[in-house]
Amino acid sequence: MAVYRVTFNHQTEPVVVKSGTLITEAARLAGIEINQPCGGQGRCGRCVVQVTDGKVRQRSALRLSAEDIQMGYCLACQSVIEGDISVVVPEQEKIERRLVTDRTAIEVQPIPGYAPEYQQTLKRYFLEFSPPDYEDQTDDLSRLQKHLRTDLGFEEVEIPISLLKKISSVLREGNWQVTVYLDVLSTNDGNPTARMVDLLPNRCDEDSPMWGAAIDIGTTTVTLWLVDLWTGIVHAQVAEYNAQIRRGEDVISRIIYADKEGGLQELQELVVGTINQLIEIACKRVKHHRVSPQDILKLTVAGNTTMMHLFLGIPPSYIRLAPFVPTFNQAPLIRAKDVGLIANPHAVVDCLPGVASYVGADITAGVLSAGVDSTDQLTLFLDVGTNGEMVLGSKEWLVTCACSAGPAFEGAGVRDGMRATTGAIEEVWIHSETYEPTYRVIGGGKPRGICGSGLISLLAEMFMTGVVDKAGNLNTSLSTPRIREGEHGMEYVVAWKDETEHGRDIVITRVDIDNLLRAKAAIYAGFLVLAQSVGVPLEETEQVLIGGSFGKYLNVEKSIQIGLLPDLPWEKFNFLGNTAVKGAYFALLSQEYRTRIHEIASKMTYIELSADNTFYEAFMAAMFLPHTDLSRFPTVLAALQDSNIQFQTN
Amino acid sequence: MPVEVPKEKWPGSVRTITLGALPSEGGTRKRVVTVGGETAMPFMHFEGEIPNPPVVAIEIKDRKPDDWSPLLLETWKDVIDDPAQWAAAAEAAGADLIVLALSLTNRNGEPTSPDEAVASVKAVLRATGLPLIVFGPGQAEADNALLVAVSEATKGERLALGICEDKNYRTIVATAMANDHLVTARTPMDVNLAKQLNILISDMGLPLDRILMDPTTGALGYGIEYGFSVMERLRLAALQGDKMTQLPMIVTPGFEAWKAKESKVGEGVPASWGDWLNRAINWETLTALTLVESGADIVVLRHPESVKRVKAAIEELMAAKSLVS
Repeated sequence: MAVYRVTFNHQTEPVVVKSGTLITEAARLAGIEINQPCGGQGRCGRCVVQVTDGKVRQRSALRLSAEDIQMGYCLACQSVIEGDISVVVPEQEKIERRLVTDRTAIEVQPIPGYAPEYQQTLKRYFLEFSPPDYEDQTDDLSRLQKHLRTDLGFEEVEIPISLLKKISSVLREGNWQVTVYLDVLSTNDGNPTARMVDLLPNRCDEDSPMWGAAIDIGTTTVTLWLVDLWTGIVHAQVAEYNAQIRRGEDVISRIIYADKEGGLQELQELVVGTINQLIEIACKRVKHHRVSPQDILKLTVAGNTTMMHLFLGIPPSYIRLAPFVPTFNQAPLIRAKDVGLIANPHAVVDCLPGVASYVGADITAGVLSAGVDSTDQLTLFLDVGTNGEMVLGSKEWLVTCACSAGPAFEGAGVRDGMRATTGAIEEVWIHSETYEPTYRVIGGGKPRGICGSGLISLLAEMFMTGVVDKAGNLNTSLSTPRIREGEHGMEYVVAWKDETEHGRDIVITRVDIDNLLRAKAAIYAGFLVLAQSVGVPLEETEQVLIGGSFGKYLNVEKSIQIGLLPDLPWEKFNFLGNTAVKGAYFALLSQEYRTRIHEIASKMTYIELSADNTFYEAFMAAMFLPHTDLSRFPTVLAALQDSNIQFQTN
Repeated sequence: MPVEVPKEKWPGSVRTITLGALPSEGGTRKRVVTVGGETAMPFMHFEGEIPNPPVVAIEIKDRKPDDWSPLLLETWKDVIDDPAQWAAAAEAAGADLIVLALSLTNRNGEPTSPDEAVASVKAVLRATGLPLIVFGPGQAEADNALLVAVSEATKGERLALGICEDKNYRTIVATAMANDHLVTARTPMDVNLAKQLNILISDMGLPLDRILMDPTTGALGYGIEYGFSVMERLRLAALQGDKMTQLPMIVTPGFEAWKAKESKVGEGVPASWGDWLNRAINWETLTALTLVESGADIVVLRHPESVKRVKAAIEELMAAKSLVS
């Protein structure tokens, strides 16, 4: 097969690729970064590069103008190399860093009465041997095993070959005194399984920390807590964007990317890279102790099912294909070196169990940390992100479903939408007579766009002031210049260009409103289907617990006004932040909690909405402000009547 | 031993709506048509009242249509160039009311002007004493321009103006409110969407007894089962007491049936399909009757023979009442 030379950014050394290679693949070989938010499907148009010399075959030129194509611009993910070419890659948009420490660090209390001797599976033992001599020529391993058996009672301990390599030197270095770390999982039959995690020379201080990490791999953000397993104290909380974002913003785009050649491995390396980076940052952030990544001996991981597959390098293809069956819901225990983590190579990595393709370990862990499985109260637990996953139940029973809300609440799919970072409008108020808005911007500066909470607030205000009708149509008969015909239909101007950072008007269009309506309708319809599936009226919910980082900024009043959340008294809503990492933290500390997550995963009933006619019906009914059945939203009805909103035209 | 027939007792009922206004009421109609009022599922006389039988409207155009089947053009050939004569012929053919569908362009291919639309409507009103429904050409801007003019020029006639859709209803509703007319509200075969549009329209202040809902349907063989089911569920919701679905339903089986290949095409079809005209009329009749059985209050037809057959069938279905009591 023919091979061709591809030169990037006028670098002297070209990369050599086979005919038919895509520019994105060649760029990867050359170590050049090209963002692909849609996962390389040719939909987003963000991977534009310029071919300055030579020709490529373009599978698609979506979002490119004739002039762009004339100048050699093409979509890197859709351009097939069929000759020698030179490519210029424009500077890539930086992924804005979230204000991690300020906004997401929370105070965590260890489990009350935490007793590591009983609850912690990672055990530290001190062993003393008699050295071998001509009388006793027992081999080193057997000698070690004999002490594990006679001193500690472990009939069998799994010892990886890589640890075996250093046994002899460690035994001698410590002069036949060693500290051994075992991960001991008790089992139903009473014979615990023990895995050796590390073997160190000499006796170590019994109160010195034993380091572990709780991790939540989110589609957008990866969160890591560094924990002293001995005291249960969280010494560092860090979070960072999942580096996979560059290869697709949502799980479906990632799955599509993973199906490409080399894609799976790349995604696996990206997420492990993110975790390793977090491990390093977390270690540096610990006060009063010197911690190196190698000191981390146990890691517990939560994350949605796709993230778990990618973390372990397992093809996630079937997650997106009917009937939506993943390769696994519960992965076996592995060691850190198996996936390339920079923790101790033999550290046990415990991936928590999920329930289904779209209800993963982030939800089971969330249910645990929110206490849904132990409460008497009928509880609705909700994790708002790209997918809305929700659980209804109590200690008696649990039902769950996931609905594809789309990324509208994360600011994607909306013209001026953006993530919740500096410059995002996060709250809006509209005057009921002049229709003039007032808004608050994260960071206090000029606005660049609107984030999810801003969009919810904006839609609620537009509805309550009559700027839009119940179907989301803009009321063109109002006298305000802010409602106007835009490039893509009717729109409402939130900020004029002289107020904004980029000098362009910030608007919300009819299409944006439809996307928001679909997102909120999918979530509310999910609530209804869950409630109907067990025959309880949704209004009887006694508490609503909301997890996910987005949940923290959700305004209950506005969310009820647009019909995203059920119309319940505000005091019934509780925001819990990242419940997944907290659940992983509990499972990291205590085997009882770990067992509880496994029980949650096995007892939770999963309802597949795509196979459920009632969902479509409920979805259509919810595609209205606040809902087609207004009696479900009595307080909104009352507020509309109070404010005497006139829907009449003039 | 006598057999006890189980009966459903419904808490709700369909609103009664009258189309057209007599001279004493501020209009010029010789007769008015009242639909709705049902307190039971279609023709379930033993469970409740069906006070007003379903009615049949004939659809005419303001000029010779471009896209109608040659069979229809042949049937109406003597009157097809004059809406007034066409309306009179439709009345003679047994129509209970007339639907006048305005064209987007006039005979010369220019956009139909508001004045032309008003002239057509007035001519039809003069030619027949039946109540009238006026449909715009089906494009938001043209609909709004023509229907506002028609509405203002016919104040007090209690016309039904259509077609309101969720993306374009404000102007039509506002003009109907101001000039004492009714509106028809069309949604694409979905219970919730139908309900939503009724809410939007009544939010503007138009009383519910001036809204006819058009849940859309498909012809026999082209999705009629779906349309049937949606209409049935709308009616069940109405009888269960859901106010926003308690509106009489209007459907356009003539339009749907005459789009179907079976009615439209006379050549190159299997011989076993039989006579073209007979087949086309059967198609329209069966489509309409199926919808009558699912709760339609007004069916809009195109062929006089279908009108005759559908009316005869409705009469029989209504006569079944005497068997019950």
